[in-house]
Parts: sequence; structure tokens; C-alpha cells
Amino acid sequence: MNRLEQLKKTGNKAFVAYIMAGDGGLDRLKNQVQYLQGAGVTAIEIGIPFSDPVADGPTIEAAGNRALKHGVTLQKVLEELKSWTFEVTIPLLVMTYLNPVMRFGVERFATECSKAGISGVIIPDLPYEHKQLVQPYVDKEGIKLIQLVTLTTTDVRLDGILREAQGFVYAVTVKGITGSRDEMSEDVKAFMRKVREKSPVPVYAGFGISKSSHVDMLRDDVDGFIVGSAIVDAFNEDRIQEIEPLIHAVTATHSV
Amino acid sequence: MTKVKICGLQEQRHVDAASRADAIGFVFAPSRRQVTIAQAAELAKHIPADTDKIGVFVNASLEEIEDAVAGVPLTMVQLHGDEPDELVKAIRVPVIQAFSIRTKEDVEQLKNSLANYILVDAPGTEYRGGSGNVFDWSLLDGAGIDPSRLIVAGGLTPENVRAAIEQTTPYMVDVSSGVETERQKDVAKIQKFIKQVKDDSMEQTIEKVGFFGKYGGQFVPETLMKAVKELEDAYNEVKEDPEFHKEYHHYLSEYVGREQPLTFAKRMTEAYGGPKIYLKREDLNHTGAHKVNNAIGQALLAMRMGKRKIVAETGAGQHGVATATICALFDLDCVIFMGEEDIKRQQLNVFRMKLLGARVESVTKGSATLKDAVNEALRYWVANVEDTHYLIGSALGPHPFPTMVRDFQSVIGVETRRQILEKEGRLPDAILACVGGGSNAIGMFYPFIQDKEVKLIGVEAAGQGVDTDKHAATLTKGTEGVLHGALMKLLQDDAGQVQEAHSISAGLDYPGIGPEHAYLADIGRVEYRSITDDEALAAVIGMSRLEGIIPALETAHAIAEAEKQAKSMTKDQILIICVSGRGDKDMATYAENLEGLS
Repeated sequence: MNRLEQLKKTGNKAFVAYIMAGDGGLDRLKNQVQYLQGAGVTAIEIGIPFSDPVADGPTIEAAGNRALKHGVTLQKVLEELKSWTFEVTIPLLVMTYLNPVMRFGVERFATECSKAGISGVIIPDLPYEHKQLVQPYVDKEGIKLIQLVTLTTTDVRLDGILREAQGFVYAVTVKGITGSRDEMSEDVKAFMRKVREKSPVPVYAGFGISKSSHVDMLRDDVDGFIVGSAIVDAFNEDRIQEIEPLIHAVTATHSV
Repeated sequence: MTKVKICGLQEQRHVDAASRADAIGFVFAPSRRQVTIAQAAELAKHIPADTDKIGVFVNASLEEIEDAVAGVPLTMVQLHGDEPDELVKAIRVPVIQAFSIRTKEDVEQLKNSLANYILVDAPGTEYRGGSGNVFDWSLLDGAGIDPSRLIVAGGLTPENVRAAIEQTTPYMVDVSSGVETERQKDVAKIQKFIKQVKDDSMEQTIEKVGFFGKYGGQFVPETLMKAVKELEDAYNEVKEDPEFHKEYHHYLSEYVGREQPLTFAKRMTEAYGGPKIYLKREDLNHTGAHKVNNAIGQALLAMRMGKRKIVAETGAGQHGVATATICALFDLDCVIFMGEEDIKRQQLNVFRMKLLGARVESVTKGSATLKDAVNEALRYWVANVEDTHYLIGSALGPHPFPTMVRDFQSVIGVETRRQILEKEGRLPDAILACVGGGSNAIGMFYPFIQDKEVKLIGVEAAGQGVDTDKHAATLTKGTEGVLHGALMKLLQDDAGQVQEAHSISAGLDYPGIGPEHAYLADIGRVEYRSITDDEALAAVIGMSRLEGIIPALETAHAIAEAEKQAKSMTKDQILIICVSGRGDKDMATYAENLEGLS
């Protein structure tokens, strides 16, 4: 995750790609990670399918359901990661709802993530108030617990969240659920600026980033972008190469 | 913000007093504050899930420590002896290592610790720390100790803790003797200490509330946190407001038709041959079930918050109908999510909702029942949170919903209590209510919780049997998990995927249970039983013919269990059943399943 700090210092933007583990079968995950790594993404979020993903829109929910049909579980994903022999050169993150983690055992989750080479975890339904359920265990393994902030986060909570933020801050660009959108609301820019001013760690914009125009609009106000639904769709429809221009739009070196 | 640990607790009242603490310490080492693993495990039932449970040991073996970690269970371990590094590394959970600080040299030692956290204390008599004395905090100045690893202990009191925090800026402060009076923990001092740490005017604090023992909480996406906090504040305000209560009760009496009778069921009493049976008649409410009590309360609250758009979920349709009814009454926009499967089972209620002006959205995902309707309602709320109130229909969801729904439904138990005292001059021996999410049951039970002599029984749906995979008996078969914003008991598989619940009654097939019920089950205050589809159907016929009251399918589960309970009760005893709803909505199911009737 120190690479993310480095990146921020150079002024280059990060591109974090989300993939749903096991969408189309768990054997696809390895190639997907290798492909994205080769395409120049900065980090990869590996989504764990869950039966009741209330923070996700239809694209990721459908991908999760396809993965569940393949019998994908948190344990199988971590086992898969541990079995890889190729060199993973970028940070891997796990994005999962809380219930599979609690069922797996929180401390076991932390140690197994560590063995699988995971740098950070994102748990969308574990708010700042309850992070103590997970924080001490991931701390013990040196894994970052990434916090989300949204347009509806009050200033008081924002300050609290940012004071203890680790790795990067996941700044949600919309009031709704995950998914690609045609429009970016104008107040998003101001929100991103506010978060970035206060944040001790890089700030990445996520939810609804699917076009180069979104990237252009927010480029000056964030340290990077998280792209989920657009990538999940592209992998599902076997047209991932169409995402490459978006990756390059983000990661191309710009003069600061 | 500095966290608070209250150490050396041995009694539940002290654990309750420390409900806002971030960590509770149990001493397993020889000490006047020593507890056994079993005692700590019992106390842990009353501690919120995200509060750390820390075991304190002095030169214990790894095996002893592991037994306690698994048995309580503990989330952290604190070591006060001369434990070797190998032991520190071998412990699965995060470790705190204690050091006595006399000199700068002592401070130097801290850097070598492999533990996750370092606890600094004044020199004790028998082992590191534990003396209740204050050490010279300035020894830590410039020592290069990472404050995020630092826990300060030793002689802290409500009076000096702020100064300690200002000087050392630690991760956590730890207190034991400082919150005691005459060597016993003191509730007032515990609360004062926590208040001193958390309610500093310089920092807005985030309270830890909304837990029933370990269950409950606010496990929702960040987008909804503002809405649940606003709701929490708004509800706290109206709770104390006599005007709000006046308005709420005005509608209950003038619109719903309360209070509802507590009917003596003469023929059921004779047929069962046991206790006197009384029926609390929620079936007589306008809209036909208890759901309307909660719908009115929440709609009034939403309007106070300036929200005139309502989203709700419904299973059997009773909550949907109640919500659509109240939205018509108050001219509020109304969207109801309902599983496709339930829409088929409850067509009459779907039409009622539409007639009342609500938009009914069919949910085809997952099992297409209540669980999935809640998912979609939550998603809709996430996307429309600024102007929409989520009017949840049961004692479920993130705090404050379980508390609020319980309070709005408590009118059932409050009336029942008064009525039985008027009729019989004493409290009943047993009260039964059906449990899906658990709102009619918690509303009925809550005013009786303190009356230990009243047996409270919640009745879940066993569907085709609890040993098949087609049931909704969450408390019988479920395990701890987080769904729809709360830690509760869930029907789930080994990977933590929530399973589909099954019941012939659309209102009970929910794979979770309200967090307060999970707690009441854990502490043994309420007993939970389950009744199969066939037993419930038989009870529908029984009650209809004995009393001329056709119950809802959900209610029939409580009736069936009442008949079983009556067998072991005597004629001088009293049993009350909450008749949560009437059977009109279930006629199609009855016609289909009870066709042999002539």
C-alpha cells in the first residue's frame, strides 16, 4: 500500500479495478488479475459474492449471483490466491460484506488474508462506529481497513473517519448504490476537494465511474479512481480490452 | 479519539453501566477481581458485539489463555507477567503487554515488545501494574512510543483521566480501582469515567447505543449512516415529547379503533382443559393486524423530520397495507417492495395497497420473499435517502428501528397488562406471540419483561419441519450474523450466505430475527418454540370453530403452541395469546389447503 503513497507524491493518478471473484468460475480470477496487472492498473479489489449485497447495484449483484452459482466462498477465494505462483506486483484488496467475515471468523479472516498476500480490506456495511469488530485483527497482520465516505457523511463523522483512515479513502461519488452512470453531479467535485484537503491518505473516487469524462471531471480533485461495474460487465461480456482506454485515461502521466 | 477500557468487572450491573466503554476487562489471574471463564462468558452476553472483551493474565500458559479466548470468547489478551515473546506471538488475538514505569529505562524496554499494544502502569506489588497508583506520565515524553499502540493505566480516576489523555494521547485508557468505592465497582463512577473520556466538549463523540447485549448495532452502508443517525436523534426527541404521544394515541383510538379487547376465550379454555385463555385482539385493528400501530408512529415521525416520501417492505402484505393506509391518511408518497412469490400468495393485499394509492414494486431477486423485499427497500432508501423515510415493518434493521418499532408496538403489552389486572387482579402465567421479525411479540412482551413470574413464549415457523431445509425457525436453528443493518441470529450456510426461509405464512418466512429477541433468547428470559405449517393450519380450524375468530396464518402458530402449553398448565392459571392479525388475507391459502372441509 506504500505504493499508493508514492503515487500520490508523484502526482500520478491511481486506477483501482474491481472484479467479482468467481464470476464465470473461480478459475477465471487468475487470468483477470494478470490481465489487469498487465494493463497497468494500480490495485485490484477482489469482490466476495454475498447473498444480500445491499450496497451494490444490479451489475455487481448479478455478478455475485453468478459467482454464488459456481459455489464461490470467501474461503475458496483466499485458497485460490494462496495457490498463485506468478508474481503479483500490485496491492490486492478484498471487498466483502461483513457477514461472510463473521462467519469465517474475524481473526482467521485477517490471518488468511495475510497469507494470501492481501494488503487491504473494504467492508461496506461495517461503519466507522463498529470498526473495532475487525480493526485490531487486521492491524495485527498489517492489513489496512479501508474506510468509505459519501456525500451524506456529516462533517463530524468525516473528521473522525479521516483521522483514523488507513491506506486510502474510498470516496463515494453518488448517493445511490454501485453502478455505471451517465451523469456526475456537480457537487461531487466540491465534496472530493473537501475530503482530499482533510485526508492524511490518498482519496479515490468510486461508484459510478465508467467513462473518461467522469475521470476528466474529477481528475484535479482526487488521487485516483475505483472502477467496478464497467469492468465486471466487460469481463462478463468478454470485451475487457474496451476498458483499456479508461485505464490509460487515468494512469497516463500528466504534468503536475 | 481515546478509547476506554473498564477492567475487573464481575457483575452484570457493572457491565451494563459500562455499555458505552470500548473494552471490558476480565481478570483471570489470582486477584480479588478474578472471574472464571464461565462467569466471563455469562457477562459477555450483555456486552455489545463491537466492544472488545479483554482477558487479563499473569504468567498463564498458552493453553489456559486459549481456553479463555475460545470460551468467553475474548477478542484481546492482556499479559501482566514475564511472558516470553514466543507466547505473545502464539496468541491468535491481538495482545496487550503491560509494563511498570518507574524510570526512563523502563520506557526504553517498551520498544522491544512484540505485542500489538503496550499498557503502561505504575509499579504494582505482585506483578506489573495493578497497584492503583499513578506513574509519572512525563516519562513517556519524547520516548518515541507510537501513541496508536499505547494504553495508559495506573491510578486513573474520573477526575484525572482528562489530564492523562492530554499528556499522553494514548490509544486507550484503562481503569479498575479508580471506578470503585470501598473495593467494589461503582456504577456512578464507571459512567462518570466514560463520560469524562468520551464527552469532552472539544470532540463530538459517537455514542455506542442500540445494542441488546451483543445484538443490534448500525451495520449499514456509509450512505445511510446520516439517515439512521438523524432518525435516532429525531426519535430520541419525540420519545420525550408529550405532544407527539398525544397525537400518536389520538390516531390509535380515533382511526385504528384502540383499545382492543382482551377477550376471554371460553370455548378454547374448555377445549384445552387447562388455563384460562385470553386473546389480545390485534385482529380488530383497522387494516386487520398489529402492523398499523407502528406505521402510524413512524409516519408521524417521518413528517416531523420533513420527509413526505415513504418506502416500505412487506411479506404477507399486512405491513404494506398498513403503510399504504397511513400514507393515504396523511397524503404521503408510498412505495412498497414485495417479493414476487408473496405477491402471488397475497393478491388481495396487493390490490388493497394499489387501491390505497401505493406503488407496489415486485421483487424477483433471491427467494423473492420478505428478505429480498427488505434488500430492495434498503437500496431504494440509499438512493433516495434525502427525502425518503424507510418505514420498516418489524423490530429489525439498524438502530433505532428495533427500539422504535418495539416502543410503537408496546401499546399491545401495556393495554394487555392493564386489562388482565382489571379482569383477574393478577398478571398472567404465560403469554404467547408468533415471531417472524418479531414486532407483535416484542410489543406484547416488553411491558412484562421485568415480571419474572410471567413466562414469555415466542413461536417461530417450523415450516415443513426444523430438520428439513424448509423452515423459518431462526432462534432454533440460526447462528450469529449481520443482515439488514443488525447483528442478530440468521439462517445461513457455512460460508455466511443467508439462506431462504420457508413458511406457509408469508409474514414469518424471514431468515433473521429482531436483535432484542436474539438477546432475550440468549439470557433465557423468553422461550422460543416452533410450529409447523400443518400444525398452524390445524390451529386455524380449531380457533375458527371454537371462538368464531379466523386468525391470520402467522397468529395460528401462536395458537397451536398455546394448545401444547395448556396441556401442562392448571385451571387456576392464565394464558394470553396475542392475536396479531385476522385471516381475511389468507383465505386463498386456507381454501387451497383446507379444501377437505365441508
